[in-house]
Amino acid sequence: MNSSRSLRLPPQVGQPSTTASMMTDVMVALLPALAMAVFFFGLRALVLTAVSVGACIFFEALYRRLTGQDDTIRDLSACVTGMLLAMCLPAASAYWVPVLGAAFAIIVVKQFYGGLGKNFMNPALAGRMLLATFPMLMTNWSQPLDRLPLWGVDAVSSATPMSYLHAGILPPQTLSQLFLGQQGGSMGEVSSFMLLLGGCYLILRRVISIRIPAAYLGTVALLALVFPAQDISPLRWMTAQLLGGSLLFGAFFLATDPTTSPVTPRGQLLFGAGCGVLTVLLRYHGSYPEGVGWSILTMNCCVWLLDRAGMPRRFGAGRFSVLRDWASQARRNLAEIKFVRPNLHIRLNKGGKAPGEAHLDQIRTQAAAYGCLGAVILTTGLLIFGVQRYTDLDTARAAARAQQEVLSQVMPKAAFSSETPYRAVGALSIQAGYSQDNELLGYCVEVQAQGFGGVVTMEVGVDLNGQVTGVAITDHKETANVGTEATTPGALARYIGKSGTIRPSGSNSVDAVSGATATSQAITAGVNRALAIVANLDTEGGGVDYVDGEV
Amino acid sequence: MRHFFFGGVNPAPHKENTRRKPIARLESQPDFVIIPLSMSAEGDSIPAVKPGDQVAVGQPIAAGQGLGVSAHASVSGRVAAIEDRPHPWGGRSPAIVIKNDFQDTRWSGRPEPLVPEQVTLELLLGRVREAGIAGMGGGAYPTAEKLRRAAGKVDTLIVNAAECEPYITADHRILLERSDKILQGAHTLARALGAQRAVLVTEGDKLNAAEAVERRLRKRSGKVELCTVGTRYPLGAEKQIVQTVTGREVPPGGSPLDVKCVVLNVSTVFAIQEALFKGKALTHRAVTVTGGAVARPRNLWVPIGTPLRCLLESVGGLREESDLILTGGPMMGIPQHDLEAPVVKNTNGLVCLTDLERRQSAQESICIRCGKCVAACPMHLAPAFINRALGQKELHKLPRLHPQDCMECGCCSYICPARIPLLERVRQAREILEKGGQAR
Repeated sequence: MNSSRSLRLPPQVGQPSTTASMMTDVMVALLPALAMAVFFFGLRALVLTAVSVGACIFFEALYRRLTGQDDTIRDLSACVTGMLLAMCLPAASAYWVPVLGAAFAIIVVKQFYGGLGKNFMNPALAGRMLLATFPMLMTNWSQPLDRLPLWGVDAVSSATPMSYLHAGILPPQTLSQLFLGQQGGSMGEVSSFMLLLGGCYLILRRVISIRIPAAYLGTVALLALVFPAQDISPLRWMTAQLLGGSLLFGAFFLATDPTTSPVTPRGQLLFGAGCGVLTVLLRYHGSYPEGVGWSILTMNCCVWLLDRAGMPRRFGAGRFSVLRDWASQARRNLAEIKFVRPNLHIRLNKGGKAPGEAHLDQIRTQAAAYGCLGAVILTTGLLIFGVQRYTDLDTARAAARAQQEVLSQVMPKAAFSSETPYRAVGALSIQAGYSQDNELLGYCVEVQAQGFGGVVTMEVGVDLNGQVTGVAITDHKETANVGTEATTPGALARYIGKSGTIRPSGSNSVDAVSGATATSQAITAGVNRALAIVANLDTEGGGVDYVDGEV
Repeated sequence: MRHFFFGGVNPAPHKENTRRKPIARLESQPDFVIIPLSMSAEGDSIPAVKPGDQVAVGQPIAAGQGLGVSAHASVSGRVAAIEDRPHPWGGRSPAIVIKNDFQDTRWSGRPEPLVPEQVTLELLLGRVREAGIAGMGGGAYPTAEKLRRAAGKVDTLIVNAAECEPYITADHRILLERSDKILQGAHTLARALGAQRAVLVTEGDKLNAAEAVERRLRKRSGKVELCTVGTRYPLGAEKQIVQTVTGREVPPGGSPLDVKCVVLNVSTVFAIQEALFKGKALTHRAVTVTGGAVARPRNLWVPIGTPLRCLLESVGGLREESDLILTGGPMMGIPQHDLEAPVVKNTNGLVCLTDLERRQSAQESICIRCGKCVAACPMHLAPAFINRALGQKELHKLPRLHPQDCMECGCCSYICPARIPLLERVRQAREILEKGGQAR
């Protein structure tokens, strides 16, 4: 025996599995699902997987070579990433899709963080979710047993069970169809049976522990049982939720990725439960029908926290020792907070001397330090004050309100009005009135006419048929209780519905209000002018529609 | 009520080679026996004989000093020398070398055998001290001291026949072949110590021994309980066996006494029984010689002090080259470099592993955070985090990770798929803490 053996440390035996053998086991566990994908979607599934695995290996080797690090292809983690990525894709994806995903997964998500064991997000899942930002790529679900050609796949789209569940109804597939995989979806997720088979293999080989999948599936099942959709039996709803979509795939293959899941057993349980809650929330309330990917990625980011929360209790330290420690620490910290009497005795001159140069220097440095901050605060304050001071908000608001009031008088149906580019002789302004739905209802024309006491300014609403929708007097100089008799709402309402030229008497006439004849005539003249202006507008405008926003 | 301990691993037991083989005497007695003066983990003993003295089997030749245990001649003959010899715990240490005269003369001064009713605590402690008994399961703590401290303070005596180490079957055979004596010893001990319960714990892979005990328990009116637990390493560790039997957890830095338990190995109980009722000192013990490289693996009853080489000769030597020879099991055993090192009081096995059995060819790789070490640590440690804290030189994090709780069972290193020597890292962390004085 030679002395180099003294370096061997206990224990002298080890369990046989290595990192590479664990990765091999994951690939073996994926084989049933892959075989089912090939059966359902044709050889294209196999070719897509090969492209994805190849791309992952290529990018891994490339990056390690470029950065001068040792080769890590032999740990097979890149192969697993490639396979997982492919299984997440629709079988109808173009061949460049997994290549793009692999580049992102391997280089950005995995290698930038230091390679195997250091990344904080599941690379395959992150790659798939990057691809999901191209919506048309990722909703290309093809129907199973609809074997796809190797080249030239049409963009087909069929509803997955998840889109039915998202809408709150059960998918049309029977239970056994869901179980065997006759559902739309990505390559890996269609056959629940094959996924369960692979998951059991991983658990029996002790590659993964049952904690994460059990907590994940259990939480989803529980929440689906407690909150089923309306008029659906909870049990049916729960089974559909469990078997539909990528839940099983995610629970057994994506959430259990050792690097991006917690290390501590309790943390793993929390991780699984968190994934379950998020998945159900996203499925019920998210804008995508499926939420497994996002929930796992979100929980990946919480792993650090879960590990701290799940740290095993110290052996022999009692059940709630952590809480007790924490409470006693908090008590100690609180006890350290003491009330210190502020030193209010301010002395400007130390030791009987007048403030010297040093004191002034100190003040100067402090002034320089706080000067910037002070300047910013001062400028901002002045600006706000100035704006407040010189903007007469009340007047502006009152004007807007008055305008709205006039509008509601002259065109009750209109919700708002806006300036038009039209100008016409005799009109002070022409505004277009619109309904709630941005539909043009008519025009409001502001006109003036000579009344008894002076100029009467009024606004006349005319709809697209040339009928008056209302008249409002905005300004006048008529004698109170004599001339104003013609400006009462009752008197003005008589104009509503009139069209053409309104005469003082005869057909199509509005009678003058007795005692306010001059005013009535002025109003009638104004309305007539407005009607004429609008009629001419329409003829002048020709077939050009006035579209809001062109101004 | 069944209790469990957290974690643990299931290494391949490899016990089938020797579990059916009765404990046999050595085919040829050794020419020399080497009795080291350091037989207890806690202290040494001083020789009571000079080179040239004639000694008989069972004659005390060294007296315990402090927490040391006394040593007895295991063969009759003449003291050849008192000199530095290789010690199975590593290095060399002073030892009394006795030239065997193959007469097997019994020492005349051996104490009178007692009857069970006579045994009192004082008598028990005196006999155990005289017989030089130290923990025979691996700890090598002086048993008399352990019993003295435990007297009157414990309510449970646990006889540890778990033998969770792979390969080793010495305790299994002892339990099977000497069930009666062990039960008698356990019963007497429990009475003398004032323990209400005496529990004999064994694992599910020793069902024939458990059956033998069960059968004798039915005949006796003793109060010894039998507790058979599913095989899992490290059930035989003191804290884990206490937790399994009583559900109590030994507090950090404490001993089973703190939770009113005392744990004795089954071989120790047998030695105590022999000392009490036969007046025999601890001069022989059962050793399993096994491993893939051994020609005829078997269980042997060997005089303490026999060189390991004699054991190997007695089993027909090695049939292929051994990659590693260990005293003790492969999980916690000590690699041996010199086959002249003797069997000492806590040597329960001599395991010669082949390269194939060790399966440690893979290189250390990066931690992939699989968490298996955390799930395997029976002391609730997180070796992955200790490893990371060391690797990133974040020593301020170490006190919170409690590396000083480690009992070196090796589960973390065993289970690690990245082949990181986690046990070594935890040891390093503990040393750093001890040096920094930050350990609480």
